[in-house]
Amino acid sequence: MKTRFNMDTKAYDTFLQGLNEQYFVEKRGNQSDFRLYFDDLWLADTAVIDDVHRSHGAWAVDLIFASIHNPLKFIKRHITTHSCPKRAAQQGEFMRRAAAKDQRGTLSVSVNPLQVCKN
Amino acid sequence: MYNTKIKILNASVRLFNENGIDSVRLQQIADEAEISVGNLAYHYKSKDVLIEAVYERIFEEFHEIFRHYLKRPDLADFDIQISIYYAFFSKNRFYLSEFFKANNTTAPHYLQWQDCTAKMLLQLRSRLQFLVKNNELLPEKEPGQYELLAEQMWMSLVFFIPKSNMIGQQYDEISYKKNIWNLLKPYFGPEGLEEFRAMIVPVLF
Repeated sequence: MKTRFNMDTKAYDTFLQGLNEQYFVEKRGNQSDFRLYFDDLWLADTAVIDDVHRSHGAWAVDLIFASIHNPLKFIKRHITTHSCPKRAAQQGEFMRRAAAKDQRGTLSVSVNPLQVCKN
Repeated sequence: MYNTKIKILNASVRLFNENGIDSVRLQQIADEAEISVGNLAYHYKSKDVLIEAVYERIFEEFHEIFRHYLKRPDLADFDIQISIYYAFFSKNRFYLSEFFKANNTTAPHYLQWQDCTAKMLLQLRSRLQFLVKNNELLPEKEPGQYELLAEQMWMSLVFFIPKSNMIGQQYDEISYKKNIWNLLKPYFGPEGLEEFRAMIVPVLF
Protein backbone atom coordinates (compact mmCIF):
# COMPACT_ATOMS: atom_id res chain seq x y z
CA MET A 1 0.00 0.00 0.00
CA LYS A 2 1.36 3.41 -0.91
CA THR A 3 2.28 5.39 2.20
CA ARG A 4 -0.08 8.30 2.44
CA PHE A 5 1.15 11.75 3.38
CA ASN A 6 0.60 11.92 7.08
CA MET A 7 0.28 15.13 9.01
CA ASP A 8 1.55 15.07 12.58
CA THR A 9 -1.27 15.16 15.17
CA LYS A 10 -0.06 18.42 16.68
CA ALA A 11 0.27 20.07 13.26
CA TYR A 12 -3.22 18.84 12.32
CA ASP A 13 -4.62 20.33 15.52
CA THR A 14 -2.99 23.70 14.71
CA PHE A 15 -4.35 23.46 11.16
CA LEU A 16 -7.89 22.91 12.51
CA GLN A 17 -7.50 25.91 14.83
CA GLY A 18 -6.56 27.94 11.76
CA LEU A 19 -9.70 26.74 9.96
CA ASN A 20 -11.78 27.71 13.00
CA GLU A 21 -10.20 31.15 13.01
CA GLN A 22 -10.93 31.87 9.36
CA TYR A 23 -14.60 32.56 10.12
CA PHE A 24 -13.60 35.27 12.60
CA VAL A 25 -10.59 36.96 11.02
CA GLU A 26 -10.63 36.38 7.24
CA LYS A 27 -12.11 38.83 4.77
CA ARG A 28 -13.28 38.55 1.19
CA GLY A 29 -10.54 38.08 -1.44
CA ASN A 30 -9.90 40.12 -4.59
CA GLN A 31 -10.73 39.33 -8.19
CA SER A 32 -6.99 38.97 -8.85
CA ASP A 33 -6.90 35.99 -6.50
CA PHE A 34 -8.55 33.98 -9.26
CA ARG A 35 -5.58 34.47 -11.60
CA LEU A 36 -4.49 30.89 -11.05
CA TYR A 37 -7.56 29.74 -13.01
CA PHE A 38 -6.53 31.41 -16.27
CA ASP A 39 -2.84 32.24 -15.90
CA ASP A 40 -1.30 29.01 -17.22
CA LEU A 41 1.63 30.44 -19.23
CA TRP A 42 4.04 29.02 -16.68
CA LEU A 43 3.18 25.54 -17.99
CA ALA A 44 5.39 26.32 -21.04
CA ASP A 45 8.41 26.34 -18.73
CA THR A 46 7.92 23.07 -16.96
CA ALA A 47 9.94 19.91 -16.67
CA VAL A 48 8.00 16.67 -17.00
CA ILE A 49 8.60 13.95 -14.42
CA ASP A 50 6.99 10.51 -14.58
CA ASP A 51 5.75 9.00 -11.35
CA VAL A 52 4.92 5.30 -11.28
CA HIS A 53 3.47 4.15 -7.99
CA ARG A 54 1.28 1.47 -6.51
CA SER A 55 -2.34 2.51 -6.15
CA HIS A 56 -5.54 0.50 -5.68
CA GLY A 57 -3.69 -2.79 -6.14
CA ALA A 58 -2.22 -1.75 -9.52
CA TRP A 59 0.53 0.51 -10.89
CA ALA A 60 -0.55 4.05 -11.63
CA VAL A 61 1.34 6.29 -14.07
CA ASP A 62 1.23 10.01 -13.28
CA LEU A 63 3.01 12.89 -14.97
CA ILE A 64 4.20 15.85 -12.91
CA PHE A 65 4.72 19.21 -14.64
CA ALA A 66 7.04 21.24 -12.40
CA SER A 67 8.07 24.82 -13.09
CA ILE A 68 11.80 25.09 -13.79
CA HIS A 69 11.96 28.40 -11.91
CA ASN A 70 10.07 27.27 -8.83
CA PRO A 71 9.72 23.49 -8.47
CA LEU A 72 7.13 23.98 -5.74
CA LYS A 73 4.78 25.17 -8.48
CA PHE A 74 3.61 21.98 -10.16
CA ILE A 75 0.56 20.08 -11.35
CA LYS A 76 0.09 16.34 -11.41
CA ARG A 77 -2.02 14.46 -13.94
CA HIS A 78 -3.02 10.80 -13.85
CA ILE A 79 -2.30 9.10 -17.17
CA THR A 80 -3.08 5.40 -16.93
CA THR A 81 -3.02 2.29 -14.74
CA HIS A 82 -1.37 -1.09 -15.39
CA SER A 83 -1.35 -4.29 -13.40
CA CYS A 84 2.21 -5.04 -14.66
CA PRO A 85 4.96 -2.80 -13.15
CA LYS A 86 7.22 -3.14 -16.23
CA ARG A 87 4.48 -2.03 -18.62
CA ALA A 88 3.61 0.84 -16.30
CA ALA A 89 7.26 1.99 -16.20
CA GLN A 90 7.48 1.72 -20.00
CA GLN A 91 4.25 3.66 -20.50
CA GLY A 92 5.46 6.30 -18.02
CA GLU A 93 8.73 6.67 -19.95
CA PHE A 94 6.93 7.04 -23.32
CA MET A 95 4.40 9.52 -21.97
CA ARG A 96 7.11 11.57 -20.28
CA ARG A 97 9.16 11.75 -23.49
CA ALA A 98 6.08 12.70 -25.53
CA ALA A 99 5.01 15.40 -23.08
CA ALA A 100 8.52 16.81 -22.58
CA LYS A 101 9.11 17.54 -26.29
CA ASP A 102 10.28 21.13 -26.52
CA GLN A 103 12.18 23.02 -29.23
CA ARG A 104 14.54 24.32 -26.58
CA GLY A 105 15.52 20.80 -25.55
CA THR A 106 14.38 18.90 -22.51
CA LEU A 107 13.80 21.14 -19.52
CA SER A 108 14.72 19.87 -16.10
CA VAL A 109 14.25 20.98 -12.51
CA SER A 110 17.03 21.44 -10.03
CA VAL A 111 16.88 21.31 -6.27
CA ASN A 112 18.84 24.61 -6.03
CA PRO A 113 15.87 27.03 -6.41
CA LEU A 114 14.39 25.45 -3.28
CA GLN A 115 17.37 26.69 -1.23
CA VAL A 116 17.23 23.73 1.11
CA CYS A 117 18.85 24.38 4.48
CA LYS A 118 20.83 21.34 5.54
CA ASN A 119 21.61 22.55 9.05
CA MET B 1 -12.61 -1.44 -16.98
CA TYR B 2 -12.92 1.09 -14.19
CA ASN B 3 -16.57 0.13 -13.65
CA THR B 4 -15.60 -3.51 -13.23
CA LYS B 5 -13.01 -2.56 -10.61
CA ILE B 6 -15.65 -0.58 -8.70
CA LYS B 7 -18.11 -3.48 -9.03
CA ILE B 8 -15.49 -5.86 -7.58
CA LEU B 9 -14.66 -3.54 -4.69
CA ASN B 10 -18.35 -3.03 -3.84
CA ALA B 11 -18.99 -6.78 -3.93
CA SER B 12 -15.92 -7.40 -1.73
CA VAL B 13 -17.05 -4.88 0.90
CA ARG B 14 -20.57 -6.42 0.93
CA LEU B 15 -19.16 -9.92 1.46
CA PHE B 16 -16.55 -8.80 4.01
CA ASN B 17 -19.36 -7.18 6.03
CA GLU B 18 -21.42 -10.37 5.97
CA ASN B 19 -18.73 -13.03 6.48
CA GLY B 20 -15.47 -11.36 7.52
CA ILE B 21 -12.39 -11.02 5.33
CA ASP B 22 -10.88 -14.46 6.05
CA SER B 23 -13.87 -16.58 5.07
CA VAL B 24 -14.56 -14.94 1.70
CA ARG B 25 -13.13 -16.67 -1.39
CA LEU B 26 -12.38 -15.03 -4.73
CA GLN B 27 -15.04 -17.24 -6.36
CA GLN B 28 -17.68 -15.75 -4.03
CA ILE B 29 -16.55 -12.22 -4.86
CA ALA B 30 -16.68 -13.00 -8.59
CA ASP B 31 -20.20 -14.44 -8.21
CA GLU B 32 -21.36 -11.41 -6.20
CA ALA B 33 -19.90 -9.01 -8.80
CA GLU B 34 -21.42 -11.15 -11.59
CA ILE B 35 -18.12 -11.62 -13.40
CA SER B 36 -15.85 -14.62 -14.01
CA VAL B 37 -12.95 -15.48 -11.70
CA GLY B 38 -10.63 -14.96 -14.69
CA ASN B 39 -11.91 -11.43 -15.10
CA LEU B 40 -11.47 -10.84 -11.35
CA ALA B 41 -7.88 -12.14 -11.53
CA TYR B 42 -7.22 -9.80 -14.47
CA HIS B 43 -8.13 -6.79 -12.34
CA TYR B 44 -6.72 -8.01 -9.01
CA LYS B 45 -3.93 -10.58 -9.14
CA SER B 46 -4.58 -12.04 -5.68
CA LYS B 47 -6.83 -11.70 -2.64
CA ASP B 48 -4.13 -9.71 -0.82
CA VAL B 49 -4.05 -7.15 -3.64
CA LEU B 50 -7.85 -6.95 -3.55
CA ILE B 51 -7.86 -6.42 0.24
CA GLU B 52 -5.21 -3.72 -0.20
CA ALA B 53 -7.41 -1.98 -2.78
CA VAL B 54 -10.48 -2.24 -0.51
CA TYR B 55 -8.58 -0.67 2.39
CA GLU B 56 -7.16 2.04 0.17
CA ARG B 57 -10.66 2.99 -0.99
CA ILE B 58 -11.96 2.97 2.58
CA PHE B 59 -9.21 5.34 3.73
CA GLU B 60 -9.92 7.61 0.77
CA GLU B 61 -13.58 7.73 1.85
CA PHE B 62 -12.55 8.39 5.46
CA HIS B 63 -10.33 11.29 4.40
CA GLU B 64 -13.17 12.61 2.24
CA ILE B 65 -15.28 12.94 5.40
CA PHE B 66 -12.55 15.05 7.02
CA ARG B 67 -12.75 17.45 4.07
CA HIS B 68 -16.33 18.26 5.09
CA TYR B 69 -15.07 19.99 8.23
CA LEU B 70 -16.55 23.45 8.75
CA LYS B 71 -17.56 24.20 5.17
CA ARG B 72 -20.18 26.49 6.67
CA PRO B 73 -20.18 27.98 10.17
CA ASP B 74 -23.55 26.53 11.25
CA LEU B 75 -25.00 23.43 12.91
CA ALA B 76 -26.39 22.07 9.63
CA ASP B 77 -22.79 21.68 8.48
CA PHE B 78 -22.10 19.32 11.38
CA ASP B 79 -25.37 17.50 10.66
CA ILE B 80 -24.16 16.82 7.11
CA GLN B 81 -20.86 15.46 8.44
CA ILE B 82 -22.71 13.13 10.85
CA SER B 83 -24.77 11.84 7.89
CA ILE B 84 -21.58 11.07 6.00
CA TYR B 85 -20.12 9.31 9.07
CA TYR B 86 -23.28 7.19 9.23
CA ALA B 87 -23.03 6.27 5.54
CA PHE B 88 -19.36 5.37 5.99
CA PHE B 89 -19.65 3.29 9.18
CA SER B 90 -22.81 1.47 8.07
CA LYS B 91 -21.23 0.59 4.72
CA ASN B 92 -17.89 -0.61 6.13
CA ARG B 93 -18.93 -2.55 9.21
CA PHE B 94 -16.25 -5.24 8.84
CA TYR B 95 -13.44 -2.83 9.78
CA LEU B 96 -14.14 -3.12 13.53
CA SER B 97 -13.85 -6.90 13.72
CA GLU B 98 -10.68 -6.72 11.62
CA PHE B 99 -9.30 -3.99 13.84
CA PHE B 100 -9.89 -5.89 17.07
CA LYS B 101 -8.61 -9.23 15.86
CA ALA B 102 -5.39 -7.78 14.41
CA ASN B 103 -2.33 -9.21 16.14
CA ASN B 104 0.09 -7.31 13.99
CA THR B 105 -0.32 -3.77 15.31
CA THR B 106 2.32 -2.44 12.93
CA ALA B 107 0.35 -3.49 9.81
CA PRO B 108 -0.06 -0.44 7.50
CA HIS B 109 -3.86 -0.48 7.50
CA TYR B 110 -3.93 -0.83 11.32
CA LEU B 111 -1.73 2.26 11.65
CA GLN B 112 -3.89 4.12 9.13
CA TRP B 113 -7.03 3.31 11.14
CA GLN B 114 -5.33 4.67 14.24
CA ASP B 115 -4.33 7.81 12.36
CA CYS B 116 -7.84 8.34 10.94
CA THR B 117 -9.64 7.80 14.24
CA ALA B 118 -7.18 10.13 16.03
CA LYS B 119 -7.89 12.81 13.41
CA MET B 120 -11.62 12.26 13.81
CA LEU B 121 -11.34 12.92 17.55
CA LEU B 122 -9.25 16.04 16.93
CA GLN B 123 -11.86 17.35 14.48
CA LEU B 124 -14.67 16.83 16.97
CA ARG B 125 -12.70 18.64 19.68
CA SER B 126 -11.90 21.46 17.31
CA ARG B 127 -15.52 21.78 16.19
CA LEU B 128 -16.68 22.09 19.80
CA GLN B 129 -14.09 24.84 20.33
CA PHE B 130 -15.43 26.62 17.24
CA LEU B 131 -19.03 26.34 18.46
CA VAL B 132 -18.01 27.84 21.84
CA LYS B 133 -16.23 30.68 20.08
CA ASN B 134 -19.27 31.25 17.86
CA ASN B 135 -21.48 31.51 21.01
CA GLU B 136 -23.48 28.43 20.06
CA LEU B 137 -22.19 26.37 22.98
CA LEU B 138 -21.87 27.63 26.56
CA PRO B 139 -18.33 28.31 27.80
CA GLU B 140 -16.69 25.44 29.68
CA LYS B 141 -17.85 25.19 33.31
CA GLU B 142 -14.97 22.87 34.19
CA PRO B 143 -11.70 22.51 32.33
CA GLY B 144 -11.68 19.50 29.99
CA GLN B 145 -15.49 19.34 29.85
CA TYR B 146 -15.65 19.58 26.07
CA GLU B 147 -12.72 17.25 25.62
CA LEU B 148 -14.73 14.62 27.45
CA LEU B 149 -17.80 15.44 25.35
CA ALA B 150 -15.75 15.10 22.15
CA GLU B 151 -14.65 11.63 23.29
CA GLN B 152 -18.24 10.63 24.03
CA MET B 153 -19.32 11.84 20.59
CA TRP B 154 -16.46 9.95 18.99
CA MET B 155 -17.51 6.75 20.79
CA SER B 156 -21.09 7.20 19.61
CA LEU B 157 -20.09 7.88 16.01
CA VAL B 158 -17.85 4.80 15.85
CA PHE B 159 -19.67 2.31 18.08
CA PHE B 160 -23.36 3.17 17.69
CA ILE B 161 -23.89 0.68 14.86
CA PRO B 162 -21.98 -2.26 16.48
CA LYS B 163 -23.78 -1.51 19.77
CA SER B 164 -27.18 -1.59 18.06
CA ASN B 165 -26.26 -4.88 16.37
CA MET B 166 -25.10 -6.36 19.68
CA ILE B 167 -28.32 -5.63 21.53
CA GLY B 168 -30.50 -6.41 18.51
CA GLN B 169 -31.78 -2.86 18.19
CA GLN B 170 -32.93 -1.44 14.88
CA TYR B 171 -30.99 1.60 13.74
CA ASP B 172 -31.19 4.11 10.95
CA GLU B 173 -29.64 7.42 10.05
CA ILE B 174 -32.18 9.36 12.16
CA SER B 175 -31.49 7.40 15.37
CA TYR B 176 -27.74 7.65 14.73
CA LYS B 177 -27.90 11.42 14.33
CA LYS B 178 -30.33 11.88 17.24
CA ASN B 179 -27.88 10.07 19.50
CA ILE B 180 -25.14 12.59 18.68
CA TRP B 181 -27.36 15.67 18.93
CA ASN B 182 -28.73 14.48 22.29
CA LEU B 183 -25.18 14.47 23.63
CA LEU B 184 -24.65 18.02 22.44
CA LYS B 185 -28.06 19.47 23.41
CA PRO B 186 -27.44 20.20 27.14
CA TYR B 187 -24.47 22.41 26.26
CA PHE B 188 -26.22 24.81 23.86
CA GLY B 189 -26.33 28.51 24.72
CA PRO B 190 -29.39 30.65 23.82
CA GLU B 191 -28.11 31.28 20.25
CA GLY B 192 -27.19 27.66 19.70
CA LEU B 193 -30.52 26.43 21.04
CA GLU B 194 -32.37 28.78 18.70
CA GLU B 195 -30.40 27.55 15.71
CA PHE B 196 -30.82 23.94 16.82
CA ARG B 197 -34.60 24.37 17.06
CA ALA B 198 -34.76 26.07 13.67
CA MET B 199 -32.43 23.80 11.66
CA ILE B 200 -32.09 20.40 13.33
CA VAL B 201 -35.27 19.72 15.33
CA PRO B 202 -37.69 19.96 12.33
CA VAL B 203 -35.67 17.31 10.47
CA LEU B 204 -34.80 14.89 13.27
CA PHE B 205 -37.11 15.23 16.27
